[in-house]
Amino acid sequence: MHRRSSQLTIAAVAAILGVLVVIQLRSQAGPTGLAQLSSQDLTVLVANLNARNDQLRRETSLLQAELTTLQTNRSRGDASVDEITADLHRVRAYAGLDPVGGPGVAISIRGAIDGAGVEVLINELRNAGAEAISVGGVRVVTGVVITGAPGTSKVDGVALGVAFDLDAIGAPDKLTGSLTRSGGVIAQLAATQPDVEVTVTPMDRLELPATTRSLVPAHGRPRL
Amino acid sequence: MARLRAIPSWQITLGVALLALGFLIAAQLASEGPRVRYTTQERTPLVETANELQSQQDELKNTILQLRAQIQAVEGQGPGSADLVRQLNAELQDARIAAGLIALTGPGIVLQLEDSKAPVPPDGNQSDYLVGSRDIRTVVEQLWGAGAEAIAVNGERITPTSAIIDVGSSLLVNSAYLTPPYQVTALGPPALYDELGASPGFVDFVRARSEGYGIRVSLAEPDSVDMPAFVGTMTLRYSRPLASPSAGPSTAPSGTPGG
Repeated sequence: MHRRSSQLTIAAVAAILGVLVVIQLRSQAGPTGLAQLSSQDLTVLVANLNARNDQLRRETSLLQAELTTLQTNRSRGDASVDEITADLHRVRAYAGLDPVGGPGVAISIRGAIDGAGVEVLINELRNAGAEAISVGGVRVVTGVVITGAPGTSKVDGVALGVAFDLDAIGAPDKLTGSLTRSGGVIAQLAATQPDVEVTVTPMDRLELPATTRSLVPAHGRPRL
Repeated sequence: MARLRAIPSWQITLGVALLALGFLIAAQLASEGPRVRYTTQERTPLVETANELQSQQDELKNTILQLRAQIQAVEGQGPGSADLVRQLNAELQDARIAAGLIALTGPGIVLQLEDSKAPVPPDGNQSDYLVGSRDIRTVVEQLWGAGAEAIAVNGERITPTSAIIDVGSSLLVNSAYLTPPYQVTALGPPALYDELGASPGFVDFVRARSEGYGIRVSLAEPDSVDMPAFVGTMTLRYSRPLASPSAGPSTAPSGTPGG
């Protein structure tokens, strides 16, 4: 009787021990780090991955069609000038080398904002799908940063002053919603820089200038 | 003394096993560590979906890179009207480099940011001790300011449309899921390292995050850095190019970089 119950106890302890060893090993094996995300974060992640994959799929079919046209042209001895020109316009507009027009939002900023505050707005606009952005009439491309203490913020070395506009092309309702939602970037800005007034106006049409930068790195070479 | 000797051996075995159990429970709890883990049931399908979507993303990226290479090859061998095609292709190559669609190699630096290992004080905020999107954005902005010409975070090229946001205690860059440690690679002039070190903004950042919270920031200057291409769409759904009076600043038919 005594012996039996002791064996059962040891068996039970050994079983728990085994389970714990496995859990411990598994918890250290997760390389993706997904295990540390909450359900809410996972939902955000899945939504983002879905959106990106949809974009990548569209890009794949677009490139596939382009390749087919180019190959057909070549087999006919055609030089594909139209296709190359279309490709050129598409890439230059994306990079900010050409001026672009379209719907979006005009954000009026009044008051002494700092550079970091403007950067936070820009990051949120990009997250909401903005395709092109300009600050105080300067197109924001790679390499352009807004810096400076409140009231002395500068874009590309040019002072913005205490009244300027931030324009972004994209879906007007999506851009507006993402900026003005409760607890969003404008609400946070109001808490940290209460003297700054930010007004978002959806626009049917905006025109953004091209950058004056060359954007071709002087120090890198294409890697083959 | 007599009693001590009388302890049956099974009790000793059980004692040892319980001791091991205690250690394992402690190890398990400790490994839960600063990053909280969740184990509710509804998460499992979400984790599986996320993993599946990520492997789909990798496949799509590979397909895009292959298609781009094929397109470039075909465009490069345009027969006939050679001069016009050659100039268009040179402009296209420059535009692609400007847009971040071409992988580059050149001088540069690599900054690594890792979560703090310092214990969080009882009145401290856990998230202050982890590398967040604000840290990475600050570093990227500081690098641009110091003269960087191209930047990537854990292999994701920073483009004009790149957002850097938090998801839990990890990051999304270009909607790609990145986990620490974060490596920010910047390509630029040889003076980049010194310029960054001389920037008051960068010095303040390191002081606040590294000295204040134990965020580990390290800087390396390898002989050359590899800059990945942006793999994503540059199809604009809302913007239309405007007919520009001038051809633009960067399309002078200069010698194309060898590629």
